[in-house]
Amino acid sequence: MPFDAENEGSDEDLLVAYGQGSAHAARVLTLRLTPRVLGYAARLLRDAAEAEDVAQEAMLRLWRIAPEWRAGEAKVTTWLYRVVTNLCTDRLRRRRGAGLDEVPEPVDEAPGAEARLIAADRAEALDTALAALPERQRQAVILRHLEGLSNPEIAGIMEIGTEAVESLTARGKRALSAALAGRRSELGFEDV
Amino acid sequence: MSDTELEALFTAGRARRAEPSAALLARVMGDAMAEAEARGAPAPALVAAPRRRGGLAGLVAVLGGWPAMGGLVTAGMVGVWIGYAAPGGLDAVTAAMLGGGYDVSDMVPSLDAYLTEG
Repeated sequence: MPFDAENEGSDEDLLVAYGQGSAHAARVLTLRLTPRVLGYAARLLRDAAEAEDVAQEAMLRLWRIAPEWRAGEAKVTTWLYRVVTNLCTDRLRRRRGAGLDEVPEPVDEAPGAEARLIAADRAEALDTALAALPERQRQAVILRHLEGLSNPEIAGIMEIGTEAVESLTARGKRALSAALAGRRSELGFEDV
Repeated sequence: MSDTELEALFTAGRARRAEPSAALLARVMGDAMAEAEARGAPAPALVAAPRRRGGLAGLVAVLGGWPAMGGLVTAGMVGVWIGYAAPGGLDAVTAAMLGGGYDVSDMVPSLDAYLTEG
């Protein structure tokens, strides 16, 4: 029976347990948190190898802070998302500084049903449009609409107020709509 | 583009998510063990925490604690992934490290499909 990393206690309790030497807690946290950390880093960086590096580095920082972690002080996921955001921001700024902002486009999926192609096209179009947004708008939109976090959680990650989060996501969505308006038909949306 | 259409794009975007490789999971787990060893994780906690695995305590002690386990589990995982089967001597160690009631594929769910398809 597959091991279920979601039914093993809270992230915070597990991190404290790991800090006290529990290998079991480390294993559960690895399985539970690495996918989230990697997924978010990949969305921000659009580069699989760099996202893996960031994911490993963020998890390493988590292991290092574990002995000082006090249950109830903060959410582990909020802390981790903040670390990933900062690590990715640093990398993106270095990339721009080196004139390497253009990263290879992801390889297209193998041809399949039309619906699958449209879904892939939509994901790709969204990814491209997101990449053109200002940094903070992009982070807020990804956290809200792709990572599925609440505004208060995003406020904690970005260290701003919830109203600022709402403003960033609203402006980001308006910019996305404008950028993608010309591709409606191509993306399978019919005129009404 | 309407909000509904934009939401359809977000739905497509959420479905496309990077999944961690077996090698990345092994590296992250290896880091966890190396860090625990570096700060001198107390052996009694190691023994007490995983209630489901009776034989682990002695095994960890025999093998030299956290660093040995870290190296072995990493080697075992990479062995499984690259060679399709772990070296025989590592099977028991890897299984014990990953929990008495679990299999290697529990640590790396993607291995399930990989192994059954083969």
